[in-house]
Amino acid sequence: MVKIVFVSSEDNIVDAIVNIDEPTALELADELIRQGVAPIEILERCRKGMNIVGEHFEVGTFFLSEMIMAAEIFNQVMDKIRPELMKTVTESKGKIVIGTVEGDVHDIGKNIVIALLEAEGYTVIDLGVDVPAERFVEAIKEHEPDIVGMSSLLTVALEAKKRTVDAITDAGLRDKVKIIIGGGRIDAHATEYIKPDAATDNAAQGVRLCMKLMGGELT
Amino acid sequence: MPVLSSFGYFTARYYGITNHEFLFDYEKSAKAIVKTSIDYQYDTGAGMSMLGALPLTLAFLNEYDGLAPGWVNGPIHDILGVKYARFPGRELAVDAPFQFIGEEYMKVTEYDDLIADPQRFIAEELLPRSLRNLRNPGSAKGMATLFAWGEEYRRYADREAKLSAELRSYGFPRFTSGISYAPLDFIGDFLRDIKNVLFDCYRVPDKVKQAAEALRDLIVEMVRISVKGKEPGSVQFIPLHLNEYFSPRQYSEFYWPTLKEVVEEMIKLGVTPELFYEGQHEAHLETILELPKGKTISRFEKTDLAKAKEIIGDHSCIIGGPPSSLFLGPVERIDPYVKGLFDNVKYGGGFMLSPAVSVPAAAKPENVKALMDAAIKYGSY
Repeated sequence: MVKIVFVSSEDNIVDAIVNIDEPTALELADELIRQGVAPIEILERCRKGMNIVGEHFEVGTFFLSEMIMAAEIFNQVMDKIRPELMKTVTESKGKIVIGTVEGDVHDIGKNIVIALLEAEGYTVIDLGVDVPAERFVEAIKEHEPDIVGMSSLLTVALEAKKRTVDAITDAGLRDKVKIIIGGGRIDAHATEYIKPDAATDNAAQGVRLCMKLMGGELT
Repeated sequence: MPVLSSFGYFTARYYGITNHEFLFDYEKSAKAIVKTSIDYQYDTGAGMSMLGALPLTLAFLNEYDGLAPGWVNGPIHDILGVKYARFPGRELAVDAPFQFIGEEYMKVTEYDDLIADPQRFIAEELLPRSLRNLRNPGSAKGMATLFAWGEEYRRYADREAKLSAELRSYGFPRFTSGISYAPLDFIGDFLRDIKNVLFDCYRVPDKVKQAAEALRDLIVEMVRISVKGKEPGSVQFIPLHLNEYFSPRQYSEFYWPTLKEVVEEMIKLGVTPELFYEGQHEAHLETILELPKGKTISRFEKTDLAKAKEIIGDHSCIIGGPPSSLFLGPVERIDPYVKGLFDNVKYGGGFMLSPAVSVPAAAKPENVKALMDAAIKYGSY
């Protein structure tokens, strides 16, 4: 198979992730662990790779297939370093509760966003799929997140998203969280109907919008 | 300018029945479909949301005189115990749409078995794994299930024939008369699940290609049987699912070759393939030019229709139209949307208007009407 080869970043594991080269990336991760490289540094280097992958996705040189495989590679490296990583206290950039809304069971988009958010240093609470409005409300009360993310693919989910935003408002929690919606059927009309704080149909852009919602600048 | 109906669950809500009744009660759903078709005067008869079940068709190929039905409605879901679906009034609330649940029914290590004999694998491995009541096909329960399925199929087929005739008598022909499939989508939808088949393209690329080729032959055989007794040029629908996941490189390596062969065979057999390029298909538009000119219909969801017209407008008939969200918002937006769209796609003919996916259940009736009004206003040549 022909591989897209990028200008070397002078870091093999970054290159392996950006080349979507799973065996090499995992081998290098094992090697770095064996050499005693701090998990936080391995995470940082993978994060850099995922950033580049996200940029490629946003400009259209990468497609969903590359994103999904890159997220799978990242998750496998995370599984290797997570036990050690948990011992190091790192400051979370923010807490995000995320789920696919009621009536929809598609989770590919949501899972890409989660991988990218974790790579960025956010704490993510994943509510799973087909999540009723009340569960979003309960999760906000329980976890006090900065941002609530609602994902979906289906048309029916536009109504479910609106219902969920309304439920959060009715519970008096609308001012306590920022809401971002994402998914294949999200466009300007849907956004106006659902009234979130941010909306996107692109996972990588979604992560940048989360950073903006956290008070950062859009880069 | 023809306007195709794609009313989906709006049909049920408009007529005042639940989604459960819409999918389980043949009488009520037929009445809902007729009323919606008449009230909104789109050019084709409204349809009914139906869950695809292609494995059933492929499993019985050449062992049954004709084609076993490749879809599942409410009663058939009950009879077969379809694991990959949840239905309103059963696993879901009465007004929910049915859900398709992708699962890994075939392990990555089983590609060789599939490649060696795809029909055997589907009949003897996939069906027992994915249909609860066919877990033991030779058992009394398994045999009773097949018998009940056949009875129900006949009942529904009779309803469909009656409904089609009734719709036709009011001037609403049905647009499609069959379904076909992209071989790789069969693997993604029914065998490996979408995420896994994408992983497989990286991890076991040759197996994926060989499996798609094996399934291609089976799907072509299905088309060959399906055209018997059909009028030449009848339209068969191919919903594409993995198309937007792939880069052009992976698309042309894994997805397109076997799909293209299926489409070419369909054309040779006298079928007009209607390919529904779901999601965003802009990166792959040029590949449509590789298909015979004037023989295919290309339906788009999120693809920029002006761009599609520019690239394939001379080559393939285009179907497209407003996103679901436009049916939920202010009605005043419909007219300018249609005007703007037609300015870009009307020239030279070869365009049909249709909701991009289907009219959402919560659509405002005035928006559904406004789409047809605008089509009449701006759509004459």
